[in-house]
Amino acid sequence: MATRRVRRSGLTMPVVTKRFVDNAWRRGCDYINLDLEDFVPQHLKAYARSLIKEAIPNVSQGGAEVYTRINHDYALADLEAIVWPGLSRVNYPKAEYGSEIRRLDEIITRLERERGMRPGTVEIGANIETAVGVANGYEIASASPRVQDFGGASGYDMSRDLGVEMFVGFDQFVYGKGELELIARTLGIEVRGAPFVANTTGSVSDGDHAFRQAEAARKCGFRLGGGLNPAVVEPQNRGFTPSEEDVRDAHWVLEQYRQLAGSGETWRQVNGRIIDRYEADRARDTLEWAELCAEHNHAKAEAVARVQVAMSQASA
Amino acid sequence: MSTKIRRSWLLVPMSKADCLAQARQAHADVVVLDLVEFVTEEDKPAAREQVRTAINALQGCGAEVFTQVDLELLYADLHACVWPGLTGVVISRLESPAQVVEADTLLSQLENARGILPGTLAIVAALETAKGNHAAYDISRASQRLSGLTLGRADLIMDLRPEPSGEIHLMPYFMQRLITVAHATGVMPIGAWWRAPDRGLFATPDNTYQAAQRGRAIGFQGSLCILGNQVEPLNRGFTPAVEELQAAQHILAAYQAGTAQGAAAVKQGDRIIDRGTAAQAQHLVVLAEACAVREQEKAEALSHPPLAIP
Repeated sequence: MATRRVRRSGLTMPVVTKRFVDNAWRRGCDYINLDLEDFVPQHLKAYARSLIKEAIPNVSQGGAEVYTRINHDYALADLEAIVWPGLSRVNYPKAEYGSEIRRLDEIITRLERERGMRPGTVEIGANIETAVGVANGYEIASASPRVQDFGGASGYDMSRDLGVEMFVGFDQFVYGKGELELIARTLGIEVRGAPFVANTTGSVSDGDHAFRQAEAARKCGFRLGGGLNPAVVEPQNRGFTPSEEDVRDAHWVLEQYRQLAGSGETWRQVNGRIIDRYEADRARDTLEWAELCAEHNHAKAEAVARVQVAMSQASA
Repeated sequence: MSTKIRRSWLLVPMSKADCLAQARQAHADVVVLDLVEFVTEEDKPAAREQVRTAINALQGCGAEVFTQVDLELLYADLHACVWPGLTGVVISRLESPAQVVEADTLLSQLENARGILPGTLAIVAALETAKGNHAAYDISRASQRLSGLTLGRADLIMDLRPEPSGEIHLMPYFMQRLITVAHATGVMPIGAWWRAPDRGLFATPDNTYQAAQRGRAIGFQGSLCILGNQVEPLNRGFTPAVEELQAAQHILAAYQAGTAQGAAAVKQGDRIIDRGTAAQAQHLVVLAEACAVREQEKAEALSHPPLAIP
């Protein structure tokens, strides 16, 4: 499997709101998701599309990847306008059939060729937001190698489609999320999911909640974050990154595991904890991820520094 | 139909002589001689050679004997395991119906070669990967030998970790899916509802009992375990408690009295006892009796000296 990309935090923003777009590089997130869909009013759809090409280099200056969320109903027109160098992902809302994804793949393939982008650069995020999407999950997720992570079946659209309430103190999407996670794991692609942490207020800027959610997700093995408000970026980056204590603990587990070699035992208990190959795998995973996060933080910090130098030279 | 009572499935590492010696006295309904999870790669060849002796040594102790075999080493493991006295095999990490068919064919050949009644050896599919769970329904229908489905150590093999709620991630979904498929295909759902800090079938006796009780409540009928001290909690947790049995008997008595007078349903306290309620009570009474019979069988077996098998 390819090295996991670091996508702990991301902001989805309407591409028509200039101050969001112009400040995006300062936000410290791992990706920016430029929206053409629900945050863009109907009369601005065409105008919004025309902004993407220039927004890509702008929002990525701070080291963030760039995604675009297109409209389900205008997918073809949107794609023509947005597939340009620097774009790493197209998010496709309300995916319901494998044929839709195959069609997107064909068009993206052509645009990559015409515009000098390496084949396969642009991923497809197949957003499952309807019951039909859940029922056809396997054919959707397996329709294109551009679908590299899969999951969901939660959120406002799903709630509306199923007629369930959005902010309740229990997990209302057990079945749909389980189905999609099983499909992702069966296909060997990254799981887009998270353990349930109650959010009964619907707040999008609660940093404490964002941190708890991110930390619980990481401890459960998940890596993908994202949100709508800059206040959750830092908490998500922090929550999805192994703490120093987690790293120390992982080293300790591996040290204990090494002592099993040659003993004829497959597991042992140390300080009440079981040490076996599964624990060792988890520890290695933690260390690898901690290193990727550190590298990525470093790369982003350097990118931001370059922008600041360029700006001060320009104003001098 | 008489349901097999297989509440506790004690995994015993084939490489551990002391564990094997204790297995006779463990009071497990099933002893599973393990060649997969608890035997190191280096020890596997030697462990395989010991299986026949171990099967013989367990005869007459009252437990059924299964072995747990490795899908990737299926040929060697089955050749080592299939001897008279074996009831069946747990196949770890099963992922497709084709693999079940392959195992079925191998078992048939070995039954023939080794004087075992054809078609008698059972297969329990351990669905411990995503592929296996995805294909559960087809796997469960792939052979007449298929007699049980379990998630085995899926939590470790699929790296499913505890959530803040204490549930092990994805397990509530996986358990219900497996139980539904098992009942749809007429095989036994084997497992327990483990919660953090339980991991990989390992838990304290108390937690094991809780997991068995919760497991029985959602349709499991027995579970694998690793330690001797988990056997009694599993047997107890999967057996109706005395109060449950008494309540069921009262329900049945009330229902029978009512139907004898031509009523379809009767009132007992605040409850309405209809056909469904009575059928459930009847099932519980039958289960409790079968468990008692099984306990007696095991007690009698252990009171006799081990049979010497040449």
